[in-house]
Amino acid sequence: MKTDVLHAVRLARIDLTLVGRNTTVLFNVMLMPILIAALYSTFPVGETAGVSGEVFVLTGVPGLMLAFAVFINLVNAFTSRREELVLKRLRGGQPSAAAVMAGSGLSALVLFLFQVVLLGIWVYRFEGILPANVPMMVLAAALGVAVFGLIAAAFSGMTPNAEMAQITVLPVLLVMMVAAPVAFPADVLPGPLAVVTGLLPVTPIVEMMRTGFLGADHFTSGGEKLSMVGQWVAALPSIGILLVWIVIGGLLARWLFRWEPRHG
Amino acid sequence: MISHMSTPQLADATGTGLAGPENVIEVGALRQKYGDFEAVRGISFAVPRGEVFALLGTNGAGKTTTMEVLEGYTPATDGTVRVLGLDPIRQHRELRPRVGIMLQEGGFLGDLTVAETVDLWKGLSQDAGRPVTLSGSTELPGGFTLMGTRIRRVDRVTMGALELVGLEKKARVKVKQLSGGQKRRLDLALAVLSGPEVLFLDEPTTGMDPEARRTTWKVVEGLRDAGTTVLLTTHYLEEAERLADRLAIMHEGRIHTHGTVDEVVATSGDMITFRLPGTSWTFGDLPALDGVTPVLTYAGGGTEVGYTLTGSDTGTRAHAALRPLLAWADAHGETLGRLAVRRGTLEDVFMRIVGEV
Ligand SMILES: Nc1ncnc2c1ncn2[C@@H]1O[C@H](COP(=O)(O)OP(=O)(O)OP(=O)(O)O)[C@@H](O)[C@H]1O
Ligand SMILES: [Mg+2]
Repeated sequence: MKTDVLHAVRLARIDLTLVGRNTTVLFNVMLMPILIAALYSTFPVGETAGVSGEVFVLTGVPGLMLAFAVFINLVNAFTSRREELVLKRLRGGQPSAAAVMAGSGLSALVLFLFQVVLLGIWVYRFEGILPANVPMMVLAAALGVAVFGLIAAAFSGMTPNAEMAQITVLPVLLVMMVAAPVAFPADVLPGPLAVVTGLLPVTPIVEMMRTGFLGADHFTSGGEKLSMVGQWVAALPSIGILLVWIVIGGLLARWLFRWEPRHG
Repeated sequence: MISHMSTPQLADATGTGLAGPENVIEVGALRQKYGDFEAVRGISFAVPRGEVFALLGTNGAGKTTTMEVLEGYTPATDGTVRVLGLDPIRQHRELRPRVGIMLQEGGFLGDLTVAETVDLWKGLSQDAGRPVTLSGSTELPGGFTLMGTRIRRVDRVTMGALELVGLEKKARVKVKQLSGGQKRRLDLALAVLSGPEVLFLDEPTTGMDPEARRTTWKVVEGLRDAGTTVLLTTHYLEEAERLADRLAIMHEGRIHTHGTVDEVVATSGDMITFRLPGTSWTFGDLPALDGVTPVLTYAGGGTEVGYTLTGSDTGTRAHAALRPLLAWADAHGETLGRLAVRRGTLEDVFMRIVGEV
């Protein structure tokens, strides 16, 4: 166990070094989400859930960052490393399968948190709002990376090569961009749609992030201020949904993930 | 150069009824299928501690497949395999730190430099409780920035690994810029880094120049002398002759012959060849040697005569056969032109196996 943790940290550091050396990845992971944040924040007018439309959107942007910094990044990384036999080599070396996966997850978490910090600086600079509940944001990030890391592992198993990854990620990407309650709260959607959206993993992550940023209840469209305890209590259903998704993602990954290129 | 760590007592966790734990590698009636195709069709062999065992064979014979079952990549379709008395799949976690693997091909992170790659492997090994004990003659300074790139220090341990395989001048080159043979060298360095008790080398010297090949042989011999057990595959017969204590020749999923190099070569027989003038000879004119009649080929106005001696006394059969042959020549007043006695070679055995199946 201790060895696994040491291995994961070591592999995560190497991952981050490599991200720094690969311009395409660097762009996809770092700039793309920022551009999207800038784009989204120009749409809204008026008020949503007790805050300005702009603040509402910006505090929901981590849901989109998750799609790029974590999901797409990891599908690409898993797929290309499998095809280049890097995964095979790593598995034949000292680290365990769990450590290899955890290493990739850890580096994705670092990138994701870095983006959230950038976003926090932006929100503070232009809106004067400081994050209210940082631990909740970190937990949201960690759970989000776990869920989408596992889903990415499963999707990479269905992706024959790195070029195809651009296509296989699309369904998930589209669902995330449409369903994530970035521009408006999930519960303003008509009944069944709201239920479905609420059960998708991106929704609880966005809601926890926004609640953490603003210290108010953004699990519903009410947006009323909550005490620290109140925020955590309100977050429990979301945490529950994410834990269920971790199990689902884990099963999918176990079923679909491939360590080696398929033959024939 | 490689200081080997003390090898702990082998766990006898097999309970398979196969040979005892003094066999570091045990393969019993292994079968391996890919869908309907049976790549390995029931092979058995054992490698005792400190031995170098070579798997030779045709392309597609099933060598890599066998190695990958032993390395724990795939479960055996049927049969048993044990490495250090452990099941490569179920006891992977226990086994992993004690095993070194050199795959048939690649799998490097191309954007890392050679030194960074070794550093990563070294770190992973350290984390697993197997510190690397190699020590090079120099270290490369670092900690400064050159043309926008951060230059890291390369320590003696890493340099030691690179010197072992002659890559010390490439420490700061990106792995993707290495030539094929240089990648193989790096691969070897990584496989032996943690002082493994068992080493799997799948075609270690393919693509290496003659010098690198010799270096590799020295590395393997050094490890063997330190007690490492080595299973290697190769297409170079002289490599097997030089390195292997024992070898097996595989073809289409089966082992066709195995034993020490001498034992295997002995099955191919010694050759006695000479030339007689004229083309009127038939094999009835010539003596049987060691119970063998010759093969005659007529060429260039003469007759080429060849005996293949397969008698049981491999050490003396050629000598014993020459005596009656020379007596026959004297009696008939013939001169045996270009008389040659040649031991059988591994290649003869190999070609016979491939040819007869
Ligand atoms: N994943 C796979 N799926 C289907 N067939 C496979 C797979 N891997 C190997 N094979 C087949 O199994 C047979 C044995 O392959 P293997 O790689 O073990 O041969 P080898 O002895 O290592 O050959 P070489 O000397 O060329 O490396 C080959 O016929 C190969 O086509
Ligand atoms: Mg092979």
